[in-house]
Amino acid sequence: MNTPYRIMIIDDEKIVGDMAKLSLEQEGYEVETFLNAAPALERLQTLPFDVVVTDYKMKGIDGMEVLTTVKRLYPQIKVIMITAFANLDTAIEALRGDVHDFFPKPVKIKELKASIRKALNIPA
Amino acid sequence: MNIFTPQIRSGIRDLRRRLFGGTAGRQRRDFKVLFERFREVLELHNTAADRIADIGEKLSGEYIFDIVYIRQAYEELYRTFSAFLERFSVLTDNCYAELGSRLERIDHDVRQLINEDETPSDDLVVPLVDARMNRLRDVGGKMANLGELGSLPEITIPQGFVITTRSFDEFMSLNRLTDKIADLSVPGEIDPATLAALRSAVCSGALPPGVRDAVTGALAGMVDGTSHQLLAVRSSAVGEDGEYSFAGQFETVLNVPADAASLAEAYKTVIASLFSDRAFHYCKTIGCNPTGIRMAVGVIRMIDAAASGVAYSSDPGGTEGQMLINATWGLGTSVVEGQVDADSYRIARSPQAVMCERRIGAKETMVVPALHGGTTVMKTPDAIVNKAVLDDRALTTLATQALSIEGLFHRPQDIEWAIDRSGAITILQTRPLPLRPAAETGATGAAPAGLPVFQTFSGISVRRGAGAGTVFIAASPDDLDRFPKGGVLVSRHDSSHFIRVMPYASAILTDQGTPTSHMASLCREFRVPTLVNCGSATTVLRNGQEITVMIKEKEAQVYEGILRDLVDGGNNEAIEELYEFRKKKFLLRYILPLHLVDPFRDDFTPNGCSTLHDILRFIHEKMVMKLVSAAEQGLTDRTAVHLDLPVPAGIVAIDLGGGLSLPEHAKTATMDSVSSVPLRAVLAGMTHPGAWHTEVVALHAGDLLAGMMKLADITAPSASMPMTNLAVVSREYLNLSLKFGYHFTLLDCYCSPNRTNNHVYFRFSGGATDLTKRSRRVRLIESILTTFGFVCQIQGAVITARISNRDEDEMIAILNSIGRLLAYTRQLDAVLHNDESVERYTGNFLRGDYRL
Repeated sequence: MNTPYRIMIIDDEKIVGDMAKLSLEQEGYEVETFLNAAPALERLQTLPFDVVVTDYKMKGIDGMEVLTTVKRLYPQIKVIMITAFANLDTAIEALRGDVHDFFPKPVKIKELKASIRKALNIPA
Repeated sequence: MNIFTPQIRSGIRDLRRRLFGGTAGRQRRDFKVLFERFREVLELHNTAADRIADIGEKLSGEYIFDIVYIRQAYEELYRTFSAFLERFSVLTDNCYAELGSRLERIDHDVRQLINEDETPSDDLVVPLVDARMNRLRDVGGKMANLGELGSLPEITIPQGFVITTRSFDEFMSLNRLTDKIADLSVPGEIDPATLAALRSAVCSGALPPGVRDAVTGALAGMVDGTSHQLLAVRSSAVGEDGEYSFAGQFETVLNVPADAASLAEAYKTVIASLFSDRAFHYCKTIGCNPTGIRMAVGVIRMIDAAASGVAYSSDPGGTEGQMLINATWGLGTSVVEGQVDADSYRIARSPQAVMCERRIGAKETMVVPALHGGTTVMKTPDAIVNKAVLDDRALTTLATQALSIEGLFHRPQDIEWAIDRSGAITILQTRPLPLRPAAETGATGAAPAGLPVFQTFSGISVRRGAGAGTVFIAASPDDLDRFPKGGVLVSRHDSSHFIRVMPYASAILTDQGTPTSHMASLCREFRVPTLVNCGSATTVLRNGQEITVMIKEKEAQVYEGILRDLVDGGNNEAIEELYEFRKKKFLLRYILPLHLVDPFRDDFTPNGCSTLHDILRFIHEKMVMKLVSAAEQGLTDRTAVHLDLPVPAGIVAIDLGGGLSLPEHAKTATMDSVSSVPLRAVLAGMTHPGAWHTEVVALHAGDLLAGMMKLADITAPSASMPMTNLAVVSREYLNLSLKFGYHFTLLDCYCSPNRTNNHVYFRFSGGATDLTKRSRRVRLIESILTTFGFVCQIQGAVITARISNRDEDEMIAILNSIGRLLAYTRQLDAVLHNDESVERYTGNFLRGDYRL
């Protein structure tokens, strides 16, 4: 508990970040939320994160770009993609980019928590 | 969703050919057309019902959703409803035309909620009756909650208006304070002198002319000129990040003379309190940017209160199934601030409002309006110091109102009320009470088998539940800097300083303390399981020790080590506190609740439909009735006949051909005259010895309440007289609409020697018990139907199941089992008290043991 895992949430809708933050903080994680990707990627330069949960479709830098940037610069960070516009192509694209998990919105909180535990090798 | 697959459609076409092909008379064809239309409407009905259930599930707090989902889901729902209504109008020759305007009204309200972010209002002042959740950003949470109560006919709210957040923005802009506030958002500690300067600038500021005029106009509309009136001026803040209660953080000015100058002063006092040291500290603690808060202000008429107090619609620390009402003489300030030995009444949460515990306090002082504004404390006249403030009648009324208010917001409420000298009750404020029964927070109250309890502390629970973490004993506020995240805070005394670590504490135990303190309120707000007054926690527990605490009503059981299983419980309550979530979830209010249940009541009309679910129910009922009356008017060569069965199932049957073997003009049919294969099978199951229980299974008070929240009147006699259960049959076909009590079932099946035509579609919903028990019943049905080979889909408390392509004999066996299941589950949910009981009753059913 003294050194909690750190999770970053990037989604241009505030309600998504708010809900994810609250749910994940209940699990003891430290959570930071961002409404767009640019400041989030900047933040990664100053603070280590264990998991990045990002929306797929965002203005400016989109989720795929977040995924490729994170994987290039911080390959140890697990990336989870969530999207309201889920289709097979986006899922395949994300999988090729070494995404840890991929969820269509609405995302079941229990499943997101389980996915994060798996990413961090925390036993269920 | 299309419930009829191409295969089924082909079966129906085949059926139609055989039933009506060439030889039937015109009347029969008319009925055929009507029945086809009925089925089209039914198909849309089921699609709409599925969509409603889906939205309800996704907005339950278990999912992270976004506005894209809400928009899409609602658009689909609205399209389905439009088509549904259109087909229904054709079917009924548009004789329920008002339904269209009801739908448009609901649609308008929902869209306003969905699009709220994009259409900020220019209103400077809003009448309190119009201050609703869809204007949350304009009027703030406190006033939106109060305004919403205006929709409940039995509740009186005070006359008043809200000075909106737009007015707040204009005030700050005119007085050049906007930039100064923005400057405060830099990280780090804020100098108290800076805040003091801001407060002073606000208090000496001028009201923008537009705001002044709007307020003066609203005031003129409120003052009737017949008497000297007084106002209460209350904060109603709109948080930027999260919707917290802000309880007691901002000023309320009472007893303000109803003139523009006095009101302006009070207004400035209230908005200046936004910049108090206390409010800033609170905001920082809850992780909310104080500079993003905008303050709406409620101006409401003071009630000449003979008595006032607080009602918790569910007792926060007490026994489940009870509510708590505190009351004192005069104004309620002393109750809210815990400064008086108020009367305390614990009342059963049931329509009868049975008194469980009455404690009359010694109310030595009372707060009354001061002569020249404000309030003053005076000694209570000796004769009434120890006199009960509320008589049984007032208590019953208050208790009933508290439950109505809880029903409106779908969660327990903390309600402030006042009674004037004529005995009339006015509700002054309501806000969500952050609590949840222990069973739903993961603490089941049952000690896990094999785990020794390390220590049991007796005390008073502030909030029940379970928490696990490292013990941290705080001796002074400075110690809190070292508090480990997720720790269990242990202290000799309770203290409001604990707010600093409240968001990170798993549980709190204090040797001394009271459940009504400021800390206790914060514990509820932050959902921290807490036991106060537990005597020796600081001496028994050691710093750094890892423990799991289960807090019950009057004790805490402590286990050694971190027991995740005890703590994890899918607690969605925190999510429900979120401002954005609550705002979005509020749209469910226009969709989910079912008020129209009993078709024999006067309000079973289009105008009685206040939600989409009501419209759905109304149309379904009228469709069935239309078919029955069409049959009775001779549109088919068989009239509708009542089935005379050994059990009171109240089924009316219409024969499309070959389904009933009856003499002409027969009005009733016995089992022997049913020649429809599927109906015979279902009835054989339904009347199977022991499956149909005639005794009434007692509902728990909580079940009844859950039912009442959704149902107009659970005790209405006609609710138990199902005369509109309808079976449309042929020799091989059955379409059965059943309503038993609060359960709605639809069964559509075809059962013939040709297995490729055979199918069963089954849909089950409703129930008067609470959602947990309804979900258990749905799980029970699912496991039973799965055993028979059905493919099941569950959404909330609704289950749909399908099976097809089975031999006739197997179909008959399946339909017989469904008949038993329908009879068996009529009252079953009332006894499904825990998850284990689902397994037990499933096993019993499959073994042929139908005892409840």
